[in-house]
Amino acid sequence: MSTYGRAAEESAFVRTYTVTRGRTKPRHLLALETVLEAGQGRPGPAQAEECEEILALCRERRRSVVELAGRLGRPVTAVKILVSDLLDADALVVPLTHPYADTGAGSGPSVQLLAAVTAGLKRKWPDAVAYCQAG
Amino acid sequence: MPLPTARPDDPAAVLHSSPPPRAGAPTVLKIVIAGGFGAGKTTAVGAVSEITPLSTEEYLTEASADVDSLAGIEAKVTTTVAFDFGRLSLPDAPMPLELFLFGTPGEDRFVDLWYDLSRGAVGAVVLVDTRRLESSFTPVSFFEDIGLPFVVAVNQFDGAHRYHPEQVRAALELPAAVPVVTCDARDTNHVAGVLLALVDHAVNSVATINRAGHAPSTTFQDA
Ligand SMILES: Nc1nc2c(ncn2[C@@H]2O[C@H](COP(=O)(O)OP(=O)(O)OP(=O)(O)O)[C@@H](O)[C@H]2O)c(=O)[nH]1
Ligand SMILES: [Mg+2]
Repeated sequence: MSTYGRAAEESAFVRTYTVTRGRTKPRHLLALETVLEAGQGRPGPAQAEECEEILALCRERRRSVVELAGRLGRPVTAVKILVSDLLDADALVVPLTHPYADTGAGSGPSVQLLAAVTAGLKRKWPDAVAYCQAG
Repeated sequence: MPLPTARPDDPAAVLHSSPPPRAGAPTVLKIVIAGGFGAGKTTAVGAVSEITPLSTEEYLTEASADVDSLAGIEAKVTTTVAFDFGRLSLPDAPMPLELFLFGTPGEDRFVDLWYDLSRGAVGAVVLVDTRRLESSFTPVSFFEDIGLPFVVAVNQFDGAHRYHPEQVRAALELPAAVPVVTCDARDTNHVAGVLLALVDHAVNSVATINRAGHAPSTTFQDA
């Protein structure tokens, strides 16, 4: 039911609101799967401590918005707001994606890309159960 | 632009203190793992993910179902909903690829989030627990409605009656084109096989349906 756990959720919401200094919308268009890597810039001095955590994680390897949110234990929207700040400061950058990524807008991945996934999965797990003959 | 010569996740690259120049990051592909409560979604993500599945939270605003809402005013409440995230790289694919796995929340009132998870995805796996077959109807009709290719994976829970995949197909009224397979979500080779079946089915779907005709903004009404 929608009233279940409402108080706990509201206090979590208030805490998030504090982290993002009252903002509820990210400035950058970020998807769950948008990948970020550390850039040359430095974040401003008054950043939330979560920003340092985000930068530390992205220095280890590229991380997606969804992974950062999961590791920080913060809701995706809050993390998008902080990531937007870090993008503005060039402390994070969105890496160029491999040119093969080009898929038709709005539709799913191309057949060539899907064929590459099949090849990659078969090499990674040669003993995968063969449910279908084709491919 | 030149193709990257080294794998971006090459462990040797970690030795350098500065991040590598912005060579192409691996192409990310999304796969959705859906199913009712306790159907094995988190288990399946964990079976193939390179990281322990993360439980990620998002806020959703939904119309309040409160009886005391003032008439005529659309009351909104903010709820937290959690979903699973896992990832795996395919270093030996013809191009650098990474698969992102999203386990949907079991509750089907969070359809807005299902859209986000499904947008641009390769397809979905609907895990079915035959003891609670009815909880598979909502994900099945959701993916049918948005035109996302999906396969049905029947989990063989201990002590549950073993149904033939065709019995499950009939019960869920699935079209002949939708693959129905049995699997153990705890077994990596089973889940990898299900992913292969899904990608194969997605290829066939691209060939037969023009999926560009599906606008992502289509409003989905709860059945
Ligand atoms: N025998 C058997 N047990 C399974 C299988 N898949 C999952 N389980 C078990 O079933 C239980 C529930 O699995 P989860 O992966 O947590 O299910 P879930 O869909 O994530 O559940 P919710 O997130 O609560 O909706 C766990 O104890 C698993 O070990 C399977 O294929 N066979
Ligand atoms: Mg789960």
